[in-house]
Amino acid sequence: MKILGISSFYHDAAAALLIDGLPVAAVQEERLSRRKNDAGFPVRAIEWCLGQAALEPQELDAVIFYERPALKFDRVLMTLLRGFPHSWRAFPKAMNNMLGEKLWVRGVIAAQLAVSARRVHFTDHHLSHAAAAFLTAPTESAAILTADGVGEWATLTLGRGRKKAGGATTIDLMREVRFPHSLGLFYSAFTAYLGFKVNEGEYKVMGLAAYGKPRWAREMRRILQRTDDGAFALDLAYFDYHRAVDAAYSKAFIDLFGPPRDHFEPIDLSTALGQHYADIAASAQLVLEEVIVDIATSLHRETGLADLCFGGGVALNGVANARILREAGFDRLFVPSAPGDAGCALGAALWADRILFDRPHRDCPDHPFWGPAVVSDDLARLAAEDGFPFARLSAAERIDQVVEAIASGEIVGWMEGATEFGPRALGHRSILADPGNAAMRAWLNRDIKFRESFRPFAPVVPADQAETYFELPPGGARLGRFMSGVFPVRPQWRGKLAAVTHVDGTARVQVLDRGMAPGLHALLIAYGQRRGMPILLNTSFNLAGDPIVTSVAEGYSTFRRAGMDMLVADDVMVRRQRARQEHVLEEVA
Amino acid sequence: MYPVHWLVWIDPHRRARKLLQFAEVEADGARDLFRAAEVVQDPILRRRFFAHARDEVRHASLFRTRGLALRRRLDRPGPDHVLGDGLLPGERGFDRLNVEAESMSALLAFIHLSERAASHSFAAYGAVLGHDPETRAVIQQIARDEEGHMRYSRVELSRVAPGQANRALWASRLRRLWRAYVRTALVMADMIARLILTLLYFLLLPPFALLARRAARKEPPGWHICNACRNDRTGGQY
Repeated sequence: MKILGISSFYHDAAAALLIDGLPVAAVQEERLSRRKNDAGFPVRAIEWCLGQAALEPQELDAVIFYERPALKFDRVLMTLLRGFPHSWRAFPKAMNNMLGEKLWVRGVIAAQLAVSARRVHFTDHHLSHAAAAFLTAPTESAAILTADGVGEWATLTLGRGRKKAGGATTIDLMREVRFPHSLGLFYSAFTAYLGFKVNEGEYKVMGLAAYGKPRWAREMRRILQRTDDGAFALDLAYFDYHRAVDAAYSKAFIDLFGPPRDHFEPIDLSTALGQHYADIAASAQLVLEEVIVDIATSLHRETGLADLCFGGGVALNGVANARILREAGFDRLFVPSAPGDAGCALGAALWADRILFDRPHRDCPDHPFWGPAVVSDDLARLAAEDGFPFARLSAAERIDQVVEAIASGEIVGWMEGATEFGPRALGHRSILADPGNAAMRAWLNRDIKFRESFRPFAPVVPADQAETYFELPPGGARLGRFMSGVFPVRPQWRGKLAAVTHVDGTARVQVLDRGMAPGLHALLIAYGQRRGMPILLNTSFNLAGDPIVTSVAEGYSTFRRAGMDMLVADDVMVRRQRARQEHVLEEVA
Repeated sequence: MYPVHWLVWIDPHRRARKLLQFAEVEADGARDLFRAAEVVQDPILRRRFFAHARDEVRHASLFRTRGLALRRRLDRPGPDHVLGDGLLPGERGFDRLNVEAESMSALLAFIHLSERAASHSFAAYGAVLGHDPETRAVIQQIARDEEGHMRYSRVELSRVAPGQANRALWASRLRRLWRAYVRTALVMADMIARLILTLLYFLLLPPFALLARRAARKEPPGWHICNACRNDRTGGQY
């Protein structure tokens, strides 16, 4: 059976193709359109997925959309009605938006793919998150938690799932918290308040939180209250997202926390104002953690299960994930490589296969590499045409040269195989550098990635040596597989891992299993033999504002724009020659 | 247009906003050109686009630096955008260019015309900025670069489409005209739709709003039975 899963129209559109119960391709639209968080209908992603399997759209048995547009419209309309008359500005925009395209998804899909509308199906948004988390995880039975901004009505769901290879699958979502009460929107309101883009800058809030003290926790608990039944409710007087299109927080919010940060000005943590914003971030982070850990703890008590699968945008919060693992009582916590809406394309397809069409479960390969692969010949051609020195190397030569380059302080663009599905660079589209050089972090932030100075970088370490350097709780290695947890760096190593140790002594570590990315694993081992620590700084291969690179041409362009020293794409390596490159550019300018 | 430009650029709030808007346009233009450099097969064009994109990055930085400097002098900088802050044709840069969908001759013709429009606009703005020599210096510097971009794109157009350059330029002019028409039509359609929907909101919705509010009061916060537990096996929209 061939099933295409689609997520689109809100943020981070994606497509995923399932054949006979197993994923064969999945990619975010932004990776192909080159527009960050592209939310449009994912035509390119669909074309690429179908092309991978040499399929025509008419050969698909089913297409499944990751949420139910009519229920979403119900929520939008009901929210506007409840906000009457304050919602009058939002109403025309929301109706234009919904009635213009988003309500007619069945027709859009049928028209775009030229398939019968009867083959187009829908599932619930949070069920897609749940399926993406549970059906890709190597566990037979697990509790399920999903949390994001909002789906149709739900913002957080609790449930449990059961599956067995060759057998039936069940996912029971037991209860939910409904819009407008939302942990995701609570965090997004602070993202906007702190001057970052909503749906994009949430991880910056998490990074900033480490610089602050939770002095505002009491106020936060006042606006994010716990209900008697163990759920939570927002004091809506402090928020505006439920009645305005372009405002997340209200005047009462500003009266409580002070004026929002001017997003044009950088955060200066040496000033009182900069520290205030860091304290706000720390407080929001703390209260979010308290609520989500408490909910996860009661879910563990209720289900008695050892494993938890966590999906939705909130599952990208690695600090909260690590606390859930440490405190909620679960032995293992599974967060997929794409827990956000993009991952719902795969989740919806898996749900359709296992539950809508009642097909037996098959264990999914436990890796995130479902996107377009590197074509190293392209790099050789580009380098030759532009007069850059390049070489084709054996695996051993390549590792030797990259180790040598990184050990001497160079920055390397690393492209290998298929691209990752999800927001993290997990070893196939990475920028690699020396993790020990404290100046490297500032340099990378300022000159290579062009981003805020407080942003941390992540380390990657072989699984069997992770505990030597990082304080991983039981199950921590699993959580670190897709870089989903933030853990303390062991104090004795912090000085030697200065570029990847955050200000609070933690790191969002990727714990690399050899089978997942053998090339990068071999590089880590060789680097360890050379420098004594098999750890590298691993950050996504992109510049600020751009999606992670997909093709070699994009990697080559980013390599030149960022002034990196070396680019490796499978077996081809290109080196930067500063004098020559500058000369060529001057010549044509 | 001199009095209009003068009016626009004399207001320090609008001046700062304009420069910051231009910074965004130039940064978007740089992305489009880097993309063009990534997809083009011709190595000479690749280098040209790359160099041009780097210029756009530099322009974005110049505009942003100057815009922020002006903004910091204001007591109350105000909102990022206000009504009437729309961009004029010469200010739109490459205007949502879909690089992959363009032939090289069409792309070069489009770049040439966009740069020419920008160069003319910036020359006109420079003329009314006598009261702000620093901003004028930035704008004039960028206007000179735009002239350089105009020239290289015209030369390359003649190279990649010998004998067809004028045709490509006319086709591109018509496309720009069509885009302007579509943009105007969309703005008008949006305004009409907003008006109708706002009228509907106030005329038709009040009773339903009352019912919705009553229903909301009956729905306490906390846990609810999950919608997704309906065991719906139809895969429907509802």
